[in-house]
Amino acid sequence: MKNILTVFRKEFYRVISDRRLLFTAVLLPGLAIYLIYSLMGNIIGGQMEEVETHEMIVYTENMSADFEAFLATKDLNVKYKERNDLTFEEIEAMILEGDMDLFMSFPSDFDERLDNYEGATSLPNVDMFYNPSKQFSNNTYYQFQSQLSLYSQEIGLDRHGLDYYVFTINQADETYEIFDEQKATGQGLASLLPMLIVMFLFSGAMSIGPDSIAGEKERGTIATLLVTPIKRSDIAIGKVLSLSLVSLMSATSSFIGIMFSLPNLMQGEDIDLSIYGVFEFFMLFSILLATVLVIVGLISIVSAYAKTIKEASMLILPFYFGAVILGVSSMFSDDTQANVLFYVIPLYNTIQMLIGILTFEINTAAYLVTMISSLVYVSIFVYILNRMFQSEKIMFSK
Amino acid sequence: MKQLEVKQLKKTFSLSRKQRAIEKTNETKKVAVNDLSFVAYPGEIYGLLGPNGAGKTTCLRAISTLIKPDEGDVLVDGYSVREDSYEVRKRIGFLTSELKLEDHFSPNYLFDYFAKLHGLNEEEAELRKNELFARFGIDDFREVKVADLSTGMKQKASIAISLVHDPDFIIFDEPTNGLDILTAKSVTDYLVELKNMGKTVIVSTHILSVVEKICDRVGIIINGRMEWTDTLKNLHASDEHLEELFFRLIAESEGVL
Repeated sequence: MKNILTVFRKEFYRVISDRRLLFTAVLLPGLAIYLIYSLMGNIIGGQMEEVETHEMIVYTENMSADFEAFLATKDLNVKYKERNDLTFEEIEAMILEGDMDLFMSFPSDFDERLDNYEGATSLPNVDMFYNPSKQFSNNTYYQFQSQLSLYSQEIGLDRHGLDYYVFTINQADETYEIFDEQKATGQGLASLLPMLIVMFLFSGAMSIGPDSIAGEKERGTIATLLVTPIKRSDIAIGKVLSLSLVSLMSATSSFIGIMFSLPNLMQGEDIDLSIYGVFEFFMLFSILLATVLVIVGLISIVSAYAKTIKEASMLILPFYFGAVILGVSSMFSDDTQANVLFYVIPLYNTIQMLIGILTFEINTAAYLVTMISSLVYVSIFVYILNRMFQSEKIMFSK
Repeated sequence: MKQLEVKQLKKTFSLSRKQRAIEKTNETKKVAVNDLSFVAYPGEIYGLLGPNGAGKTTCLRAISTLIKPDEGDVLVDGYSVREDSYEVRKRIGFLTSELKLEDHFSPNYLFDYFAKLHGLNEEEAELRKNELFARFGIDDFREVKVADLSTGMKQKASIAISLVHDPDFIIFDEPTNGLDILTAKSVTDYLVELKNMGKTVIVSTHILSVVEKICDRVGIIINGRMEWTDTLKNLHASDEHLEELFFRLIAESEGVL
């Protein structure tokens, strides 16, 4: 135990005493995530605001006077212009260039035909030309389509007694949205966080694992350690524990980065973490700890097998991509896995447990299977690592 | 029992395709040392002499428990490297160019670290550190990171750290390689001091003058085999110089003579 602690302290000190390593392995992930997500949120928010405040430029032809009067009662930020002598090619070009958001062409006898409505077989058509690939134009099209639809209903009812409303929806003075607010928030977080957390745990361990073991082999410092009278298993456990702590710190930094950037990313939607109590946080922490040990164990074995840091980093990549794929697949499922046997699959069990914890649907049996199987995996990994440290072929191969 | 006995040591390595190409051979295995035997006694310096690739380093790595012999054994103070590698590691101080210090740490930090791994308490470690740092002039750069030290400073720090636990058996592989003349002298002088303290010292080198100057007993390894081993005193009594003997043995092994 004493030797494990000695190796652990030295490995940990290696990271925290190196400002550059501390910054890149621990602080940078959180900072980068905060900046990237905040920037993304601000860009999305800015775009939405720009669309909302944009003055729509609508060119019209034979604009219906009644519809114009109807639009005047609506709060629309729009500038109308007459087509005049513009050719259709010029109109197309202006729409493509963004100089015109929408072109509306009414039949010349539009109002007359509405007055003399003759049934559905002879309806006047309004042509609306727009660019769906431009946000301003697209938004203008949907706004005017909606206004025309309302106008159509109003004319039908007022002039011809045609009531399009066969039934209404949610018009009574009731609260129709019945949902568990906590669970809804949890579900929102559960669709995003499990994948990110697994990725961050993995990348945190990847940033230091190869250096700690493959790097020591590459630099020849591992031999200095191997001639000391300590058990190889003490070296293996000390390194795994230290790497785990740094990975946890890195994941925590990433987690804080996400939490601070979420309000920006969600653009005003409330994210209230106080819905989770001590129990949920304890469960979350225990699952993260078990997961980080499994990830670090795996990375340590790959690093011990590799001859250089570069080779180790390359060999770890397929495992990282596998973890990302598992994480992405979790984004599209609302429910957690019910079959407890699936919880023996490393990382998959982490993701399922995280979803369960975040949505307040914790399956105790699944939790126990996850924790026990993770401990079994870690023990196997440490055993393999111990054997690898004893193998001269692996430790000194060139 | 405070002796080190190498008994019919044999070690074979597998050759990778790349190594086979370099060595221009089709053999998949290479016998690095074969039937190697010698004894090193307390209060003596045993010099392992041989050309590059003769098997000196393999022999020392087997003594230090870094590699396991295929056949034969090494007994250090009666403990077998095969059966009691832990006990052997407690008793030896091993230094080779392959063993490096981590660049990020200072000699002071590394000394404390290895002292703990060797089971020394803080007081013992401090006393030993003061003694060794003063002996090698490490105090001047004790807090400087290894990365920023010169080759000579690194070697001094490596020697101090390899001797942190005051071992009875000191195994140094090419300890003066790459050192300037002053640092090299300081190292060889210290080896003599260790011998005078009653330690068992084994040094591998290909510098004949160093062997002549400091060794009591010599073993000449050629192609993995011990071609000659005896005391320098006996050699000198036979009127043959070490240099003559060395080149004669090499010539014989190459079939020149």
